Formats: sequence, structure tokens, C-alpha cells
Amino acid sequence: MTADATRTGTGPDATRTEEGTPVDPVVADDAVEPGSSPTTVDPAEPTIVARDGTFWAWTALGLLIVVGLAALTRYLEQNVPAWAEGTAVEDVGAAVEYPVYAILLGLLGNVAITALGWRDRIAAAFRTEFFIKTGLVLLGASINLAVIASAAGPAIAQAILLISGVFLFTWWLAGRFGLDDKLRALLASAVSICGVSAAIAAAGAVRARREQLAYTASLVILFALPSIFILPWLADVFGLSDAVAGAWIGGNIDTTAAVTAAGALAGEEALQIASIVKVTQNALMGVVAVALTAYFTLRVERRPGAARPGLSELWTRFPKFVLGFIAASVIATWYLDAAGTDGKATIAIVNDLRVWFLILAFVSIGLEVRVASLREAGWRPVAVFASATVFNLALALGLASLLFRNFSA
Amino acid sequence: MTADPSSPAPETAGESRLALNEDWAATILGLGLLALVLLGAIPAGLVP
Repeated sequence: MTADATRTGTGPDATRTEEGTPVDPVVADDAVEPGSSPTTVDPAEPTIVARDGTFWAWTALGLLIVVGLAALTRYLEQNVPAWAEGTAVEDVGAAVEYPVYAILLGLLGNVAITALGWRDRIAAAFRTEFFIKTGLVLLGASINLAVIASAAGPAIAQAILLISGVFLFTWWLAGRFGLDDKLRALLASAVSICGVSAAIAAAGAVRARREQLAYTASLVILFALPSIFILPWLADVFGLSDAVAGAWIGGNIDTTAAVTAAGALAGEEALQIASIVKVTQNALMGVVAVALTAYFTLRVERRPGAARPGLSELWTRFPKFVLGFIAASVIATWYLDAAGTDGKATIAIVNDLRVWFLILAFVSIGLEVRVASLREAGWRPVAVFASATVFNLALALGLASLLFRNFSA
Repeated sequence: MTADPSSPAPETAGESRLALNEDWAATILGLGLLALVLLGAIPAGLVP
């Protein structure tokens, strides 16, 4: 991340996006309900503060905490099964995997740093999005190119149908609840595509207010957290195959980090399919952002003389890490063909690195959760988001069952 | 007040740009680490 300055939205009420970008506080008690009436966002308002020595010192401390909790997660993951052997909790000890330790330790850390008053000072170190994207690029090395090629067709079909269906449903429902068009666009993008990343892309496209973005980001994270545990469990209860479970998880959970956590809990094959499906949805984010830009420019705001967004906008909005994910798969597939079985031990090292980055991301999720946001949100957007999530669950399950029923790489 | 449609750049657009930079950083780091492993610069014992 290469920002030179940070905004002052790191005060007690500030929240952060999945990208780790500080977002100004959701306007709290004295605020209007988002989507109802205008509130204060002056584009010139946020003060730019220099990233001085104090900032970097706090950020270094934050990074130390994230890495320390990640190391503890790794330690627990590797040792708890042995400690639990022969005890009453042997089965539990063997079943609990690193996403659970990482998120729980992150949440505990969250409580501690909030109590100490450090949370907002060290928050720049919680780079969930950067960690997860690096982890996904490394994950590409463990997926044979043939799997990506086989899954690409159904993944694209599912992504198009799911994004269209869930986006339109959420847009319609948010309209019925009387939310304003910008918040409708943010919520619909967040639920239908890929959580905070999509909300950020949509916010840029429709020129949403910053508190609307901050607030959508909080909703996404708060809804994603329980999904990490509920969906793998439900997939097991429903007796879904690994491919269908992966496609369901990838199509339903909003944030990419949470998809990866849930996929890891559901199994390696489920993780691979979930990642391919989610990466496909990420790739389509640019299309939706461009469509929203055009719609808001030409239909909602009707700005005189506004130009239609060009094709270059598609490339600007395209999530570039998707290219890294595919490139890693191509390189590793070629390497394994050339090196034979000896190459598997080498790829296992890449997999260990991938797990480290995913753990860093999951710890960061726990650290940046902000429960107070739900209270600040007001009930209408929460109701819209919850209804859209249920709709997404059902539609994604139907599509995954249909499209990935006979999947084989 | 609402954001003025004619104002130069909405704040949220800046966040999109930051996210894009993060995309490239993650891609470069991920592929760089993969290259180091394949070249033998990161042996198995180095990653706990």
C-alpha cells in the first residue's frame, strides 16, 4: 500500500475498510439515518495528516501484534491436537483449524487493544485485504491449471446469474425500505459481488458519502464473521459435495477473506473451488462499477456533458491480483510437470507460506471488527442487508447445486 | 450537505485507487515468494 498520508478518520469512532483504508467515522448519535437525508460530507473536509515517526512507531507495534497472534495461531494449530490426545476433547482438538484460532485470537486482541486505547493508533497495520490477496496469489500455486479451466465455465455462469439476481433484489428491496440510491448501490454491490472491495468500487462509481461506505463496510464484516462458521457446518448438514460446498461458500459469503476462511474449514477441494468462484466474482467487479458509473452519471445525477465511462475504466477497476492468482497456477502447473513428484515438496513450502498470509488476514479480521457499528447503522439498512444475505444464500445454493453438481477437474 | 456532483473528486474514489495499489503489491509479493521457493532460496525449514 503506497499512500503517503492518512486521514483523520482514525479516531475513536472510525472504522476501516477491508482494504485497511481508514474510513471516516459513521456519523453516530447526532447523525441522520444513512440513506434518509443528507449529512455532512465535504470532500475537502478530511484533514491530511503526515505519516510521521509516531505513526510509523504505532503501526510497527500493530504489525508486531498481528504477526505475534499469527505465530500463536500457528503454534496452537500444530500442537493442540497432540495436547488433546487421550483427553475428553480429543475430537475437538483435532477438528479445530487455523481460521478458528486466528479469528478468536484476533477478537481477543481486539478487546485488549480497545481496552488499552491503542486500537485506532495501530489500525494501519491491519491489512486484511493485502494479506488475503497475497495469500490468494500463493493459493494459485496449489491449484492445477486444469482445475481453473474446468471450473471457469460454471464459475462465470454462477457469478453472472448470482450478481445480477442478488444485486437487483437488494436494489429493489432497499428502494422499498426508502434508502437513497447511493446507499442502495453500495449495499447491493457489497452483498452481490465481494463485500468491502465492491462497496469501495461502487462508492467511487456513484460518489457515495464516506459515512455510507464506512457503514456498509462494517455491515459486511459483521455479517461475514458468523458465515465463516455457519456455512461449512450447513454444507456438512446438507451433505453437499466438496465442489458444491465450495461454490456455495464462494458465491455467498461477501468478503474474500471470509470465503477463504470458510473454504479452509470445509476442506482443501472446497477451498480451491470457493477461491475460483470468488476470484471470478472479483473479476466481474469492474463491469458492475462501470455500469454503476454510467447509470449514476447519465440517469440519476444527469450531469450535463458527462462522458460515458470508457473501456479503460474496466481495466482501472479490474482487481489485478486475479492475474497473479492465474499466473501462480500456470507457473506451478508447469513446474510440477517438469519436476515430477519431487516438485510437490517444493509446492508444499508455498502452501505453508499461503497459510501464513491467510492467518495474518484472519487475525486482522478479528482485530478490526467493530460491533458498535450495528447500533449506529439504524435498522433499515441492516434489515435490507440481512434479507439480501438470506436471498443470496438460497440463490447461491441453487446455482451451486445446479452448476457444480457433476464437477470434476 | 450532500456531495456536490460538480466537486472535483469524491473521497471514495481515492480509496479505490489505494485498493488498486494494494492489488499490485499483493501480486508482486505473492509471485516473488513463489519464485524464491521454486529457486530454492526459501527452503522448507525456513517456514514454520
